[in-house]
Amino acid sequence: MKQRHGPLALLLALGLIVGACADDGATDQGSDTTSSGDTTGETTDAGEDVVLRIAMGSPGEEQIGVWEQAKAAFEEENPNVSVELNFQDDDLYQTIGLLNLLNGGEAPDIYFEWAGARLQSRYDEGFVADITEAVDGELGSYFDEGAFNGMVIDEKNVMVPANADVTTVFWYNTEIFDSVGVSVPTTWEELIDVSNSIKEAGIIPIAIGNKDLWPVGNWTSHMVSRVIGEEAYDQMMRQEIPLDSPEVVEALGYVQQLAEAGIVNESVNAIDDNEGAQLFFQGQAAMHPIGSWLVSWALEEAPDLSFDYFNLPEMPGAGTQDSVIGVSTGFVINENSEHKDVAIDFMTLFSSPEFTSLMVDAGGTPIATGAFDRDDIDPRVTAMMELLQGASALVAPPDTGYDLEVADALYAAQAEVLGGVATPEEAAAAAQAKLDQ
Amino acid sequence: MRPRRRITPYLLVTPALALFTFAVLGPIVATGVFSFFEWDGFGPFDPVGVANYVRAATDPLFRASFLHVGIYIALTIVLEVFVGLVLAGLVTARPKGTGLFRVAFFIPVMLPMVVVAVLWDFVYNPDFGLLNSTLIAIGMEEFTQIWLGDPRFALPAVSVVSGWVFAGFYMAIFYAGFRGIPGDVLEAARIDGASEIQTFWRVKVPMIRHVIEIALLLCITGGFQAFDLFYVLTNGGPFNATEIPTTYLVRVVFRNQEIGYGSAMAVVMTLVVLAIGGVYVRLRRRTAVETVS
Repeated sequence: MKQRHGPLALLLALGLIVGACADDGATDQGSDTTSSGDTTGETTDAGEDVVLRIAMGSPGEEQIGVWEQAKAAFEEENPNVSVELNFQDDDLYQTIGLLNLLNGGEAPDIYFEWAGARLQSRYDEGFVADITEAVDGELGSYFDEGAFNGMVIDEKNVMVPANADVTTVFWYNTEIFDSVGVSVPTTWEELIDVSNSIKEAGIIPIAIGNKDLWPVGNWTSHMVSRVIGEEAYDQMMRQEIPLDSPEVVEALGYVQQLAEAGIVNESVNAIDDNEGAQLFFQGQAAMHPIGSWLVSWALEEAPDLSFDYFNLPEMPGAGTQDSVIGVSTGFVINENSEHKDVAIDFMTLFSSPEFTSLMVDAGGTPIATGAFDRDDIDPRVTAMMELLQGASALVAPPDTGYDLEVADALYAAQAEVLGGVATPEEAAAAAQAKLDQ
Repeated sequence: MRPRRRITPYLLVTPALALFTFAVLGPIVATGVFSFFEWDGFGPFDPVGVANYVRAATDPLFRASFLHVGIYIALTIVLEVFVGLVLAGLVTARPKGTGLFRVAFFIPVMLPMVVVAVLWDFVYNPDFGLLNSTLIAIGMEEFTQIWLGDPRFALPAVSVVSGWVFAGFYMAIFYAGFRGIPGDVLEAARIDGASEIQTFWRVKVPMIRHVIEIALLLCITGGFQAFDLFYVLTNGGPFNATEIPTTYLVRVVFRNQEIGYGSAMAVVMTLVVLAIGGVYVRLRRRTAVETVS
């Protein structure tokens, strides 16, 4: 039998190698999109097929449904446009996911982002389009002027507002407060006293799950800003003053007071935010310091829970004592998009009262004016918006407003102090040493 | 039968070689190259020489992560390999009727590790988890702990979960080894008056020594690969008490976006594992020489 494997082997080898490289070829073509504006199947000419890509962290199934409805409505109005929605895991999107997408071959035309340092970074990297003209038109008519706070860079509007979240307030069980006979504390000392009274009644005063470090981190960072002042807090987060400076150590001393008083659940560093919330939902804890998103969550998981909120009480210090820690989020039109007009049209549709109302139904807290034209919205949701808009100072959370490494170092220090494994001096020194490496 | 063309074997090997290069060799080389740069994954490459390696050598958390994984491996050698050996001994001592037990011990091996981690996260929950609730129910409240929140208990707690999963795996390996022992050897031991325990430790275990050596190597190298269990249960906490090289590396690369430093850490980890493998090979060779002599 003659051996005829040579040509066959050659063909097989070439075929497999070319096949493996085929994706690279397509990717290379895709990466040219930003310069040529064309990918397979799409052009920017009017009437030609357009693919509009939108990326964000997953907002949950119900809100995804609203996005799907908006997509269908937009495609019906614009038959040449195909909308692609990309929902990523939240943590992935916030860390490496978005940057991967923006630098990839099929970058999103519209993407979700947090206002503040992150938005500034995207602007500096060239991924943010100027939408001032659109804001002066129909799109802007769907928002109050204050909604664009933090979304203006170099006098240009650069973000379409989506949500504004208060990152931490104290949610409290009104029935527990009534049964123990305490009222809402207005000062730090009153907070400690109220917590001690609740503890004596055999109830966990403050429950929170800090396995991922940000729940306590956001809360105690707000405390730090109240003690050292917003400007010093900003300088600390930008490393213009070190984490182990005397004023920061003094602020961490208040975290130590919480630990020494034993008024935070012992399991704080062993459970995550969901488990911490469950202690509150089940009535085992009187207070739960977390963000405005708790409202829809509690209405779903603990509909019989009687709860209300109070902002962090006044603390001894240089900060604005009615400051609010919160973050605005929104959608950015990619500067590299070849379909900016189409993107703006989509966001105009999505920000309209019709879809804003649908988002409210889906548990969202949009800040478009359509959200507040309803009388069935939970008053606590409205209260959160009023708290944000009425705040004398808005403090940015470390992990969305500043460099993640600095945020992580601060969060770790705060967790160590609250867990009683380090003094404020030790924790702050260790945190700064980590950053100095 | 020699091929007509000398190039034919090389052509036949090319597809596999291409796949290996693309999926294995390429990333390894790329990781090595990245380790000499400062790079966030998207921006420009900034050459830094060996600075990343110097940083890895002086990073107290990176050094501590090796200590933690060493403790984890030591615990899992007991909880996985030793327990697996004992279980195999038990099921082979009385082969009849042990099929159900063999299956039961092996079931955790088939579960995805993430599922196991979520399950045990509930078990260890200090407020309403199964373990503390059971201790309270049987009047042992003083033994309740914040299992995953106390630096003293977190690492052993994670190791117990690993033992729960993989003891069955090693039991299956050792069971196969014990089944391969000639029956007349065991019969001779019994005739000489050896008890079951004596037969187990003095006859069975020495006869599967090579299987045990392989199991130890698997356990040690597997320990360095651990990630998902730690990520879900503790993510390196509390207070970095369960930080192991893999969890730290993932955080450096995917959260801090320090690809260069993360690559250097990966290279160091690889060298450590290769060194351990080298020691193992040398010890085996020495043991083989001693056995022959």
